[in-house]
Amino acid sequence: MTALSVAPRAAADLLAAALSEMPAPLLLIDAGGTVTFANLRAAAMLPGTRPVGLTLPDLLAAYGAAEAPDPGVLEAAVRTTSPAQTRLTLADGRLLDTVLVPLSTGGFALSFEDVTELARGAALALQEPLTGLCNRIGLHERLDAALAESARTGTPLAVLMLDLDRFKAINDTLGHPVGDALLCKVAERLRRAVRKDDVVARLGGDEFAILQAGAAQPQAAVALAARLVDLVGRTYVIDGHMLNVGLSVGVALAPADGASADDLLKHADLALYRAKAEGRATYRFFEPAMNAQMQARRSLEVDLRRALALKQFALVFQPQFQIETGQVVGFEALLRWNHPERGPVSPALFIPLAEEIGVIVAIGEWALRTACREAASWPQPASIAVNLSPVQFRGGKLVETVTHVLAQTGLDPTRLELEITEGALLDNTDSVIAVLNGLRRLGVRISMDDFGTGYSSLSYLQKFPFDKIKIDQSFVRGMAGNAECGAIVRAIARLGASLGMRTTAEGVETSDQLAAVRAEGCTEVQGYLTGRPMPGIEAAALLGPAAAEAPAVPFAAHAA
Amino acid sequence: MSHLSPPQDASTPDLRRLVYYSRNRIGGAEALDRTVRAILATSRVNNARVGVTGALMFNAGCFAQVLEGPGAAVESTFERIQQDERHGEVSLLAFERVEARLFTDWSMAYVGASPAEAARYRDLAGEGGLDLSRMSGDRLCALLHGLALGEEAAAA
Repeated sequence: MTALSVAPRAAADLLAAALSEMPAPLLLIDAGGTVTFANLRAAAMLPGTRPVGLTLPDLLAAYGAAEAPDPGVLEAAVRTTSPAQTRLTLADGRLLDTVLVPLSTGGFALSFEDVTELARGAALALQEPLTGLCNRIGLHERLDAALAESARTGTPLAVLMLDLDRFKAINDTLGHPVGDALLCKVAERLRRAVRKDDVVARLGGDEFAILQAGAAQPQAAVALAARLVDLVGRTYVIDGHMLNVGLSVGVALAPADGASADDLLKHADLALYRAKAEGRATYRFFEPAMNAQMQARRSLEVDLRRALALKQFALVFQPQFQIETGQVVGFEALLRWNHPERGPVSPALFIPLAEEIGVIVAIGEWALRTACREAASWPQPASIAVNLSPVQFRGGKLVETVTHVLAQTGLDPTRLELEITEGALLDNTDSVIAVLNGLRRLGVRISMDDFGTGYSSLSYLQKFPFDKIKIDQSFVRGMAGNAECGAIVRAIARLGASLGMRTTAEGVETSDQLAAVRAEGCTEVQGYLTGRPMPGIEAAALLGPAAAEAPAVPFAAHAA
Repeated sequence: MSHLSPPQDASTPDLRRLVYYSRNRIGGAEALDRTVRAILATSRVNNARVGVTGALMFNAGCFAQVLEGPGAAVESTFERIQQDERHGEVSLLAFERVEARLFTDWSMAYVGASPAEAARYRDLAGEGGLDLSRMSGDRLCALLHGLALGEEAAAA
């Protein structure tokens, strides 16, 4: 206690009491490294041993303390009479942040703080609770550190973005507990497949990411991605269920594909998007062109989202003729998007995008209302066919929407034909059929569009009595040079006849094709030969009393 | 064969049987022999501990295995196999609840070891090798059971 012996007695008592009883732990150590004083708090935090009299190494040994990050820091500091800071990990698991300062009077003061809870909290903040993997923040931290290391050493690193295919369906049908158990098993497989130093993170939902550093690229990422697609894609047995999910992987490399964590993650995500677009259960590496493509897609998306409000959509109407009589029996409403700068945008381009981002529901409802209103104004009660997207069946409001539109426009429900493709029936067949029956009860007719190109499942024809089957134009076009196409058209026409469904041949462009589909027994025809899509006003004119007797010119020659 | 006292199935309400086959990805006869031994040694220890019994068959390019036991133990044993890259293209043929074990006495019988078995394989397989991929789970299970019994008789 030499530091206090020079002070007046009362002050010395005060200082002694303050040092001894202050709430922060304190040890005093002499120049030789032996503990000379421990205050009450320090003694309480170091139970089981009396620190006074022990050398610093003995004291550390007594608690099994390991110094991090470098061992021997405290001893070295005592030897050289310099200050030091270190974190001690005690044998009982506690973490102590320790500060050693040399005193002007000789010897040292050593203070410490228990940071166990703090450190555990910090670690938890970087961890995803379900799987125990790193979370997004943790990944970012590790990626930043790895990028700095990579820039220093020149060794490349890879970021792999992972997404499960079909996970949502499992979660929806079997429930969250099974979904969560599956995610845990996926996490375990990922952990098993990577090397010790790789970082595996769960970013949310069924999205994972892996940071692979210190390996030769791109070979290491290729090998890992291929292994992951195999391992994660293997059957899971959970809770008595046999489950299968696929894994899609997108890879970006540093420094080639980006030098910042954000760029790398974004580029790996673009590559993942491509992997999913190209059939899933596979991996793709980022390519600079993906950036441009994604930007083009984004800009199209922005335009598409406001096209309805800006009234850029229009409907055109393609006539459908009854082959036997040559009469116009109806029109199919077709959607057109005319953008002021882009010009006309192909439906093959914007409809899949509208389905993906969900705006097809609003666009489809607009098309339905516009078509019904137009048809209601026609001089003759011709039918009006409107296409439905599979997405429109998902909201559960389709019957309500159609009911409302019919009431609003005053169109006779029997004049409305709703066309669906097999795609609408692929998922949730039963609930889609329930909706179709609901529509049928309104008096509306239902057609199967593009028949022959998809799964052409005959069970759909059996499950729901369609009013009409529309034979895909590829078969009609192929009839001239290809006997099989003729046979398919004939088979579908016969099938329709025996099931009591009308059959429309689509895409008829030549009089030979018209003769052929007539010979095969199709009941209706639609195509450029008999009439191109036309504005509503021309459609109405075509239906006029005079037009009924003289329909599209090339067709008249063949009419009975 | 490492025999065990038959596990008490009365206390195992959720008894399951799982049958799969997989392509083996190990090159070279010696490496293969070593690997099969290692797989057997590990699985016998693990399986005995968790009450799983069954049989492993190795044939040219394929492993076939039957696992029987409490549902959770069978699931975790199968998950370990799924994480093992020595197995490729694992096809799960059956996973079902059963009343009783077929492989009561084996923590993991290995069939295909004795010369007699090798001859039997040839009979079963014909020229093209035994095509496990065309077998149902039931048939494969019955085949392994028959082979395991035959092997035991030959060893006795």
